[in-house]
Amino acid sequence: MQGVTKRYDGEPALADVSIAIARGEFAFLIGTNGAGKTTLLRILLHEESFDAGVVLVNGVDVARIRGSALTKFRRRIGVVFQDTRLLPNATVRENVGLPLQVRGHANRDIDEAVADVLERVALSDKSERFPRQLSGGEQRKVALARAVVAKPDVLLCDEPTDSINPAHAREIIGLLLEINSEGVTTLVATHDSEIVNNLRRRVIRMDAGTILADEPVGVFSTS
Amino acid sequence: MTAKLNVLRYVLGAAMLGLWRNRTMTLGAVVTTAVMLVTLAAFLAINDTLNEMVTALGRKSNLIAYVRDDARPSRVTEIMQDLEQRPGVGEVLFVTKEDALRIFRERFFDQRDVIDILQANPLPASVELRMDDPAVLPGLADELRGMTEVFESVAVPLDVVERLVSISNVSRAAGTAMIIALTAVALFVIANTIRIAVYARRQEIEIMKLVGATDWFVRGPFIIEGAFIGLVGATLAAVALVVIYLQLAPTITRIISFLPIATDVSFVRNLAVFIVLVGLVVGSIGSYVSVRRYLAV
Repeated sequence: MQGVTKRYDGEPALADVSIAIARGEFAFLIGTNGAGKTTLLRILLHEESFDAGVVLVNGVDVARIRGSALTKFRRRIGVVFQDTRLLPNATVRENVGLPLQVRGHANRDIDEAVADVLERVALSDKSERFPRQLSGGEQRKVALARAVVAKPDVLLCDEPTDSINPAHAREIIGLLLEINSEGVTTLVATHDSEIVNNLRRRVIRMDAGTILADEPVGVFSTS
Repeated sequence: MTAKLNVLRYVLGAAMLGLWRNRTMTLGAVVTTAVMLVTLAAFLAINDTLNEMVTALGRKSNLIAYVRDDARPSRVTEIMQDLEQRPGVGEVLFVTKEDALRIFRERFFDQRDVIDILQANPLPASVELRMDDPAVLPGLADELRGMTEVFESVAVPLDVVERLVSISNVSRAAGTAMIIALTAVALFVIANTIRIAVYARRQEIEIMKLVGATDWFVRGPFIIEGAFIGLVGATLAAVALVVIYLQLAPTITRIISFLPIATDVSFVRNLAVFIVLVGLVVGSIGSYVSVRRYLAV
């Protein structure tokens, strides 16, 4: 990402932001509300346009993606949204299987892959439940399962441990590290200081749409 | 190819599941579609009956052209054959002098004095026209009046004709305007109901797009659901229409028995097929258009 600027109604949400994340790397994106973390992730997914700069994801120039190329582009990225965005009228199994359904996989293959990933997030016994029947932490785990079921190259997570109990939060971070260890480039936006401080990974600190610091082994501090 | 079949299977399954899981919305859309299409169909039927009534009244207005005694019969036949081919002319009859006298005697049987003084038959033969469209009567009358070698005089109830033409024109124009307006309202309400159903699930569309679904993958289930809603709603409307027709047709025919109107079964059948097609098309196109606006994610 080089010199990226994004404005909402003239107000800058991102101002001349430049970062580079290597293939297979794990990085935290930290900052207070309104720092620009979510905007940055949305731009990486081509969910949001930007006003200036260049964004390359998996070698693809995001600004130039059109039509069916967008579908292909998104199929290589897994996302855990801040609000989970699970389909309310679909079961856990159907939600997790959706990325494989859109790729046209056979039902048998989908069932196998979904069963594997649900086992990994310890939700095998809740596969036929609807999102409303799950706790906040369980919903986030379903969102994570959906994000990784199709084995993406890149995983973007927006506040994956927000508003859930510490046990679930630790479980989710453990899963993220495990997924990253399999070669998936992982970028996690968070304001959970405990997790950032414990893991001692790369930290990209944002404030008011700019990069304040980019530390190879960072800690969460407000300074 | 296998992937496309899998997607097709998913789309069909997702449509059925979507209808069931959003059943309150589905039911609301089906009922709205049915009510709007029954209203539209009822108005189309009423409009058709009114038009039939006006046409039937038109058939009651006649033109009588009195034939000169010295007119050549072959010329009269030739004119009658020509008149039969004219648009708006329903029936062309020839009343001989003898028939005219007989009718006269029948009509004035209680006035023997008048009948008895008739030594010879003073009544002329005549050509009578029964009209399908009374609007052409004045023109035809002028044309026949010009044939002085054949006709003595031409009688047309012009005031009645003018009134009928005016009623017919107003009725047809008002009917057409009402049909256009009601069709527009029905289509708008049905399309809007589907739009609201799609709006309620816009996040679903957005999510599918963000996990890499193609536009058709997202659109497919919604179009099938829209077509299903339209089809079921329209079928209910068609069934209601046929039931109402079977209940009301004999009564209506009895009430307006003074007019030669046959309540047409094929009209109701065609109308039922028409509204089913309207439901199907509006349901699918309505969904297609409604989903499109949320696909740009």
